[in-house]
Amino acid sequence: MTTVLEVEDITKTYMMGEIPVNALRGLSFEVESGEYIAVVGPSGSGKSTLLNMIGALDRPTSGKLMIEGVDVSTLSDNQLADTRKNVGFVFQFFNLIPRLDARGNVDLPLAIAGVPRSERKKRTEEVLTSVGLEDRMHHKSSELSGGERQRVAVARAIVTNPAFILMDEPTGNLDSKTGGEIMDLVKQLNEKQGVTLIVVTHDQYIGQQADRTLHMLDGVIASDVVN
Amino acid sequence: MKSRDVFSFSFGAVRLRKMRAGLTILGIVIGIAAIVALTSITTGLQVTITSELGAGFSSDTVTVSTQSFRMFGGGTSDFTLLVNDTDTINEIEGVQTSAAIMSKSVMLDFGSTELPLSVTGVEYTAYASIYSSFVAEEGSIPETPVNNSVVIGSRVTDPWDNGTVIAEVGDTILISWTHRVGLEMVEENYTAEVVAILEEIGGFSMGPNDLGLYIPLSTAQSFFDTDEVNSIAVQLVSDDEELIETVSQAIEDAFDGLVTVTSPTALLETMSSVFDIISLFLIGIAGISLLVAGIGIMNIMIVSLMERTREIGILKALGMKSRTVLGIFLTEALVVGLVGAVVGVVTGYSIAMIFAAFSGGLLGGMPGRESSGGPSSSLMTITPILTMDIILGAMAFGVLVAVIFALYPAWRASKLNPVDALRYE
Ligand SMILES: Nc1ncnc2c1ncn2[C@@H]1O[C@H](COP(=O)(O)OP(=O)(O)O)[C@@H](O)[C@H]1O
Ligand SMILES: [Mg+2]
Repeated sequence: MTTVLEVEDITKTYMMGEIPVNALRGLSFEVESGEYIAVVGPSGSGKSTLLNMIGALDRPTSGKLMIEGVDVSTLSDNQLADTRKNVGFVFQFFNLIPRLDARGNVDLPLAIAGVPRSERKKRTEEVLTSVGLEDRMHHKSSELSGGERQRVAVARAIVTNPAFILMDEPTGNLDSKTGGEIMDLVKQLNEKQGVTLIVVTHDQYIGQQADRTLHMLDGVIASDVVN
Repeated sequence: MKSRDVFSFSFGAVRLRKMRAGLTILGIVIGIAAIVALTSITTGLQVTITSELGAGFSSDTVTVSTQSFRMFGGGTSDFTLLVNDTDTINEIEGVQTSAAIMSKSVMLDFGSTELPLSVTGVEYTAYASIYSSFVAEEGSIPETPVNNSVVIGSRVTDPWDNGTVIAEVGDTILISWTHRVGLEMVEENYTAEVVAILEEIGGFSMGPNDLGLYIPLSTAQSFFDTDEVNSIAVQLVSDDEELIETVSQAIEDAFDGLVTVTSPTALLETMSSVFDIISLFLIGIAGISLLVAGIGIMNIMIVSLMERTREIGILKALGMKSRTVLGIFLTEALVVGLVGAVVGVVTGYSIAMIFAAFSGGLLGGMPGRESSGGPSSSLMTITPILTMDIILGAMAFGVLVAVIFALYPAWRASKLNPVDALRYE
């Protein structure tokens, strides 16, 4: 097992006009390759903020955040963008691009990474098939159910074979059956392909599935429990 | 991200909002069409006028008159030019030959109707040597003045262009001239035999024209009972600009500065600079409409930026760099600008053609109006000219305006922070 993520005493302060909001107030942990971690905690405790840092969407205000040995806070905007190519994000509200069909959405990270078209076609079809959407490839997101949309989002997250998959309340907008199916799919990826999974959730089912649970409270980690 | 993918992504975004894109494009189309239409019409008009003027007088000819020939107004003096002033002019160094021109308004009487025309007294040979367009199509121009002869312009035979031939070679025509003697108006008649019909000249000219009647100068002197002439056409030994300058000065000096010497080159230059000013002014107006279109693009892009904040957040979360986001927005503007410019050029040229057809028909139709009495002096057609310069210039301008006004919104889009963009509702 190798350490893919090292978080060392990071803080994040947002400015709401003049008033500073301390979303993260010094937290540290490490993640080994292939782990499945659930991040739980009340709303406003800083879960999404933490996930954004891990996903290189933002830089911490202070502290050190090493993704595969590289300190995110020292990276330029362009390098940060390149780091994101190695991260698969799945959001609560799917965040698909409505005008593109399922295939167009899954194709996007590959196109952004500059993968040649010929390879992309094969790869997107393969991934969409693996999430069970082989007959939904040409449907726009408005023509898909919530569960199907989230499958597209998962396909988009895994299409580049990233080291991490970060999910922010992925089942929050789905009924428990559909949510369970999505999580089973992701769990399989974790088990078969050794993808590192970090999932922010309120979902009991995910809590049980995960190897380890981080409890957040007021911008710090209240407990870090291995199941 | 490869530029082909950037392009197809941008194109998809433009296509999605068809109505909006259509309206934005329309703005560019109007601006470009206006520029293209105006430029091609003015260029066409300029070419028509300068070439017809150019054909009308030779560049080695200057005109001496007592009135200053200007575009707008011009005064007359009490000084008059006389028939034998040509002798003075002919002695000036650099002058080849000169021809006195005496013009009067007359009525051409042919029974049922009268036609107002102008009759010009000239020495046929001198006149012909100065104006190459003074050539007979039918009959022949006598070398020595023949009393009671008249040379007529090609359209005098059929002034309304409808087959009512009123004069052919060998016919006699009745010219009547009304003038004042004391307090009474006296009409004098002159019966002349048509000895020649000129070749068609077309357009404007300082020399002969298609509706002119030309009688020998000596005949004109006795018929009109005067030695006063309207102008003297002077042919120089060459069309060297310096020579034209010195000879013009010498002629003016010979008449104590009481005459004005006009050279066709100077006239052409004045006309073309007037045209340049007019077309610049029109293009300026069209440019303003393009500017308005540009502001429209900016406005629409800012609105669309807000709508697409989340999309930008997603793209950035997927690893897209700021410069690629910038590229996508600029490409969208480029697509809009390019489509607008292409459609604008086509539309503008079509408008110019329609305008030309309409105005050509209008000008061509005028001589047919019998109620208006006389035929118009000449028929002018404008052929709009669309040069590659106009096409490329207009397209470049359209695309440039679109892209420049998109710069700010595109820059703002590229600067969006992905976390904020994804939180945007
Ligand atoms: N971009 C931001 N600007 C200002 N405040 C923010 C921003 N993101 C989060 N916050 C604030 O930080 C705190 C933690 O937010 P968040 O990480 O979204 O919590 P959670 O995901 O656990 O509900 C909240 O008080 C939230 O209002
Ligand atoms: Mg959250």
